[in-house]
Amino acid sequence: MIYSATSRPVLDPRFAPPFPQAALPVLRNPQLRKNVAHATDVIQDKSGRLIQEKSDWQQLRSAGSAIRAHALENLGEYLEEFEARCTASGGTVHWATDAAEARQIILGLLRQEDASEVIKIETMTSAEIQLNTFLESAGVSVFETDLAEVILQLGEEEPSHIVVPALHINRGQVREIFARRMELSDLSDNHHALTAAARHCLRQKFLSIPTAISGENFLIAETGGVAVIESEGNGRMCLTLPRTLITIAGIEKVLPRFRDLEVMLQVLARSATGERMNPYTSVWTGVTPGDGPERFHVVLLDNGRSSILAKPTERQPLKCIRCAACINTCPVYRQTGGHAYGSVYPGPIGAIFTPQLMQMQHGQSLPYASTLCGASYEVCPVKINIPEVLLELRSQVVDQERGDPGRLFDPMYLGLLIANLLFTKAWLFHAGQRLGRIGARLFTRKDGWIHSLPGIGAKWTQTRELRGLSNQTFHEWWAARAKESK
Amino acid sequence: MSVSVLSRQNILDRIRAATRCVSKDPQQLPDSYAALRRDYTRHGSLSSTACIELMVERLRDYDAEVIESTKELLPAAITFQLTASGISTLATPSHLPHSWLAEGFDWIIDRGLTIQQTEAVQGVVTAAVCGVADSGTIVLHHSLTEGRRALTLLPDWHLCILHTSQVVETFPEYFDRYHQPPSLATWISGPSATADIEMTRIKGVHGPRFLHVILVDDHGPEKT
Amino acid sequence: MVQCVRASLFITCYNDLLFPETGQAVVGLLGRLGVELAFNSKQTCYGQMRANTGFRREAFSQAKRFVRLYGDAETVVIPSSSCVAMIRDQYPGLFEEFGNEILRREFAALLPRIYELSELLIDKLGIEDVGAYFPHRVTFQASCHGLRSLHLGDRPYRLLAKVRGLEHSPLSNADRSCGFGGTFSVKNAEVSSAMLSVKLQDVTATGAEYCTAHDNSCLMHLRGAMHRQYAGMKTIHMAQILACTKTSPTGAFL
Repeated sequence: MIYSATSRPVLDPRFAPPFPQAALPVLRNPQLRKNVAHATDVIQDKSGRLIQEKSDWQQLRSAGSAIRAHALENLGEYLEEFEARCTASGGTVHWATDAAEARQIILGLLRQEDASEVIKIETMTSAEIQLNTFLESAGVSVFETDLAEVILQLGEEEPSHIVVPALHINRGQVREIFARRMELSDLSDNHHALTAAARHCLRQKFLSIPTAISGENFLIAETGGVAVIESEGNGRMCLTLPRTLITIAGIEKVLPRFRDLEVMLQVLARSATGERMNPYTSVWTGVTPGDGPERFHVVLLDNGRSSILAKPTERQPLKCIRCAACINTCPVYRQTGGHAYGSVYPGPIGAIFTPQLMQMQHGQSLPYASTLCGASYEVCPVKINIPEVLLELRSQVVDQERGDPGRLFDPMYLGLLIANLLFTKAWLFHAGQRLGRIGARLFTRKDGWIHSLPGIGAKWTQTRELRGLSNQTFHEWWAARAKESK
Repeated sequence: MSVSVLSRQNILDRIRAATRCVSKDPQQLPDSYAALRRDYTRHGSLSSTACIELMVERLRDYDAEVIESTKELLPAAITFQLTASGISTLATPSHLPHSWLAEGFDWIIDRGLTIQQTEAVQGVVTAAVCGVADSGTIVLHHSLTEGRRALTLLPDWHLCILHTSQVVETFPEYFDRYHQPPSLATWISGPSATADIEMTRIKGVHGPRFLHVILVDDHGPEKT
Repeated sequence: MVQCVRASLFITCYNDLLFPETGQAVVGLLGRLGVELAFNSKQTCYGQMRANTGFRREAFSQAKRFVRLYGDAETVVIPSSSCVAMIRDQYPGLFEEFGNEILRREFAALLPRIYELSELLIDKLGIEDVGAYFPHRVTFQASCHGLRSLHLGDRPYRLLAKVRGLEHSPLSNADRSCGFGGTFSVKNAEVSSAMLSVKLQDVTATGAEYCTAHDNSCLMHLRGAMHRQYAGMKTIHMAQILACTKTSPTGAFL
């Protein structure tokens, strides 16, 4: 059941239209495409320069990949170690099989606290389980505190990027949202004024609301500690000032040892925001009397991750450290933005994570939302071979289709099956070519080009032409030449 | 058995089933972890002087104000920073060296300040545990000279006293130095900032908008 | 002239039908360089389209056929970087999943003998100056597979630099995908077209007369839009540029 207290669109793969369809309105939105292109260019430019100066960048990537892979291969042990250490330090660890259970655990904890309001740090995991709308419908007011999330919440928009969620909204649009929702009609649209408005608006909430919900960047098995990496300081506010802190974490986000942060922090900041180090990284362990929350809960979320873990190639998205480098570099995302992916996880990482979280029952168009250019793999700081996973998932989608009687009515499916038959024997192949040549002549105009094709071919010719086929294939030319020379 | 306990068992069972072929016998886990290749740069190659210069440069890159001082001149340097910034009311951690509490200012020592009291001060002065030159990072482990986390969070102005012997060049060197992981840590690399609006970086959203660092020469860092 | 190298040309199914002139150019070029070129007329396809769309079993049957056809070839040359990339990146997995020990050994023995055209010229034959003449302004689109899978690096630029009369006009964002992606161009036709329109802006901004690449797939996509928009530019496969000489300006060879 979808909980929707407002008319705000929900990024839910169960209900989102397939990617090609979802992309259409975005492609017709020049402002949004410009915003996305600008934002990703800025991050890539900064990131590229800082990566260039790091002579051991490739070694860091290799180590990052190895550490994350090792953590996943031994996930059970490390999660238990984390749980024991966190508990010994005064934290309470909860385990949630799925989104519904996680929501209920969190609501239960809030009820224990008598909490009617919470302040919140941006977390993909809470968006994944649609926590906000659930809590709102249960009578708990949720106040996002990341500037981007404030913009989205007040503007009733959805995030379109992992690190810069309001990347698709420009300054003028932010000004309009703040002026309307904060009742600041004289608000200027300069960046300082907008940021100051957000700072002022949130300050009292930080100082007075005693319950906070956070995500995390890493769980540290060795110490039972949790790390949050941020820029604005709202994270530190939520982690330090309230009486009760609830942290939701995907089970895959474990690092074996504290020192593993030496790799992760170096690659994450450079990849995510193009900085040598982000302004604030916080690590805390359980409860520290006199410093920070008196009560600390961690909700460990499975929600399909343990199934993904079972497959060696397909488990790679679990290595993800949420830097969004793949998103920033993706030429498809550049044109479509994040909403087209119909999930809180957009871009290349979304294309390989979302369908798997859905047990391949939804989001099957996402593995095809890629030209397999490989740019995402090239930039991933933990070396997730995104093209490789995309291909595996495509194969799974096709295997699903094999069992579907309607598949033969899909012209693409049928076309590929016929092609396969033709390629098994040279004479079949050549016969197919001759037939194709005859057929093509029907559509070839006087200028020697095909301007329009029916059926699935129309997808090509809607924006491109196709040169008509020549009278002789290469192999026919070769054979004729060989004959002549005899 | 509660739902959460059952879920715990189910999740761990599924994880174990999923990783059966690759996970190590728990006895071997430390060895397989130790065998992970770490070919990245651990140790810096700069001289002590160059390392400090880099620290200063990187701090300034983040718009932090940095001045260099000696132990003898430190109280005067603190006075100067406070006066120049127009700060008169300051919070401090409970065990800050007495000599750092320059005269002529209103020092409020944190022996259990409330959130509202901490919010009301203009600034805070603390020590730090380490500085990482490569990224211009100041590390706090929130000891009694560094203060509780709220202390370096709520006031708008933070003066941090860092000694040159505390500066390392690379991040791995910091982790090498602190074998015993801290239970609390904050890594600060410049004042808070956001680039959420059109990717234009704006300083000072939450957290101190003004970060000042006095780098005290105590003849470190040690470099072989 | 180089010491005698024998190579077998795998033209690829789409070049065979849609771009026979590219194959003809390869014949002319390699013949001029003294390479003894063979062509196995039993060739059909090596399975890329199927593998990339998820039909792995079908792709394997093509892969098996390919290995059987070329097992004895001294060298195989393929004027398509995406094809070579697929063979290097995906064949191992296909043989692992569907093949047997014998087939895997056959493939492993064949793999080092497979070359994309510019790899053959520079790495195997040790030539950058192929004696080409092409007095036009040209820009080069780095096909994604050539760039990231084959790591062709500056090979194309080194070859173009030695072509007499050719003026190279660098392409901005050369490493950004043109939006073809095989079946992506049809399954996600609108997104593909959006990516193409952005790429075309960069290509036409070079002021070049020709856009070249190692892959006719990218070029077909670009050319299709150029023609639709009366863009005043054409595309041409790298092999065809290299085949042109002063005495044979269109790469004619008989």
